[in-house]
Amino acid sequence: MNRASSLSIWRERLFGTPFTGFVSVVLALAIAWVAVPIIRWALIDATWSGTTRADCAPGGACWVFIRARFGQFMYGLYPVDQRWRVDIAGIAFLLGIAAVVFAPQRLRLKLGVTMLVLLPPLGIWLLSGGFGLRYIETREWGGLTLTLFISIYSSLIAIPLGILFALGRQSQLRVIRLISILFIEFWRGVPIIAVIFLASLLLPLILPGGIGIDRLARAVIGLGFVIAAYMAEAVRGGLQALPKGQREAATALGLNYWKATGLIILPQALRISLPAMTNEFIALIKNTTLVLVVSILDLLGIAQASLADPNWVGMNMEAYAFSGAIYWLICFALSRWSRSLENKRRL
Amino acid sequence: MTKALSFINDKRVRDWIYQIAVVVFLVGITVFFVRNASENMVKAGIASGFDFLWRTSGIEVPFVLTGYTQADNILGLFWVGVANTMLVTVIAIVLATLLGFVVGIARLSSHWLVSTIAGAYIEFVRNIPLLFFVLFWYFGVIAALPAPRQSISLFGVAFLNNRGVTIPLPDGMENFRIAGLVILACVLVYGAFSVWARRRRERTGQQAPTLAAGFVLLLAVPLLALVWATLATRWDVPALRGFNYRGGFAVIPEFVALLAALVTYTAGFIAEIVRGGIQSVSHGQTEAGSALGLRSGQILRLVTIPQALRVMIPPMTNQYLNVLKNSSFGAAIAYPDVVSLFMGSALNNTGQAIEIIAMTLAVYLVIGLAVSALMNWYNARIALVTR
Repeated sequence: MNRASSLSIWRERLFGTPFTGFVSVVLALAIAWVAVPIIRWALIDATWSGTTRADCAPGGACWVFIRARFGQFMYGLYPVDQRWRVDIAGIAFLLGIAAVVFAPQRLRLKLGVTMLVLLPPLGIWLLSGGFGLRYIETREWGGLTLTLFISIYSSLIAIPLGILFALGRQSQLRVIRLISILFIEFWRGVPIIAVIFLASLLLPLILPGGIGIDRLARAVIGLGFVIAAYMAEAVRGGLQALPKGQREAATALGLNYWKATGLIILPQALRISLPAMTNEFIALIKNTTLVLVVSILDLLGIAQASLADPNWVGMNMEAYAFSGAIYWLICFALSRWSRSLENKRRL
Repeated sequence: MTKALSFINDKRVRDWIYQIAVVVFLVGITVFFVRNASENMVKAGIASGFDFLWRTSGIEVPFVLTGYTQADNILGLFWVGVANTMLVTVIAIVLATLLGFVVGIARLSSHWLVSTIAGAYIEFVRNIPLLFFVLFWYFGVIAALPAPRQSISLFGVAFLNNRGVTIPLPDGMENFRIAGLVILACVLVYGAFSVWARRRRERTGQQAPTLAAGFVLLLAVPLLALVWATLATRWDVPALRGFNYRGGFAVIPEFVALLAALVTYTAGFIAEIVRGGIQSVSHGQTEAGSALGLRSGQILRLVTIPQALRVMIPPMTNQYLNVLKNSSFGAAIAYPDVVSLFMGSALNNTGQAIEIIAMTLAVYLVIGLAVSALMNWYNARIALVTR
């Protein structure tokens, strides 16, 4: 396409009729009215270098604040000399996921199971310590590290539980079906914030006296249960989309329920429900922010807490813009991935 | 296998064994938890039961619709929380639906800029946590508004400042009660009229002027009644006295921030539902509409939207339930909803964790079931009738 014709397409799009042209002009003015001050604040009038608040020009964004606080946004109050442990854990997870995604088809399942057994304990050991590493209380964890930690470990609870309850909901056994429905509808019916309160208050109460349970673990368990109910509905969609003949064929081959489910039904159903499960994972990342109410400081919590620093008064907009941008990038990338999965399936 | 155990090969028997095993396992866990809980509560010196509800609460609430005061009991506090949750939920649902429809239809506009702006809005709000919006509106926007003395005036009757919004309050509800009765009468008359009109049409084929009647009875007369009531009532308009506005009704900033966050966030999701619903109506329907001589506005109103609604109602129900549940995000900025008043303040004061958690969850489950039932009823009414 040459330049002249692409220009005429744009003219047609924006000024095709007098009314279209009028709308275009009004909207362009509105955009300018909103965007120009924002761009001026964020880029043109902003201060990028320096060390203290005094280095910042008034009227523009003070990105110096983000630079000074960057470590906390990422790691929370994790001791500075120990942050390499978080980095290694993060790299290990990324490499593990990459290995599974790019592995040849026949190795994928084995590799996936290996990673699933290996990585979670490795992550907990690296972050919390013991066996030669300095012990670091969960109170000191925070920032993006904690957001990702909670998201990943809650889904490690939620995905198997969700699959189990999705199967239960589709089961022929009436009692099991009823229990699954009650479980799913209960957790889907109550607010997540109430569940986080519930987990933090109730878990210590119902465990035998003397067994303390870490407050971060409580939040992870609480979130895991709620997300399990949502995951179960996502998986149910996949199960329902499978033709009935698949199970009948498996039964005809002489496979029992668990073998038929594990070898024939679930692999196909999970592939169908993967986009829906990804969407639930995005929702989980967003809902992780609610741990703020039990004083666990994830990325948004750290951003919020940083506003109380007397050395950096009035940095609200900078803190929100930075943390919001990170959330947006993560969730947007995941939602695009989930959409591409969906399109691939449709082809 | 010996003969005595061969019954295990019977599928029915095996199924029962599985189910009994699951039930025994669940009952076992529950008993274990309950025993621990009662032991722990005895150790902590907390008596179980709902007697605490009649204790004086002593908790001050900044935003009360029910006439509750500190001297009332904890049950009164509970109802304050429920009322505040309901208030913000209902208003947020209405506003988010309106904004969502506007954005969703804009997303489908043939004007490139309109659809792009709508698309950008949707992608922006859907990929950011709701709590972010709540905190942003509260600490970023409302806190940055001018002090009461420099309030932003809305038409000279409502005032927006960093202490929230002050709106006029009617001196008496008498005229509004009359207007309400007039509107109720209109609705009843219209209902009776449309039933009569339908019967007559089925009998004789004659079409009664239902549209005109609807316009008069459901729109014109109610509107006139409301305008009359508004004008005939003396309004307590807020006025600046000292450092803040006196008179009128002060809406606390927490409410404004929570409402703004719920509406802007939920509208992004509703817009996608609206878009999906409208796109699900096949293009042939639009063409058939224009072949019948309908204008594009009429096609949208008479052909597209009624059919799109069928697709939209179930996901819309989910969004409405989400608004109900998400209204609890107000706890993060201390909006006095049922979670923050009851699971927060009341629980701290009494320590009755199990009872309070159960009551709070019950609120959401009961309201949620009611909303689902209502929406399912509406869904069944507008569902495609296949004969």
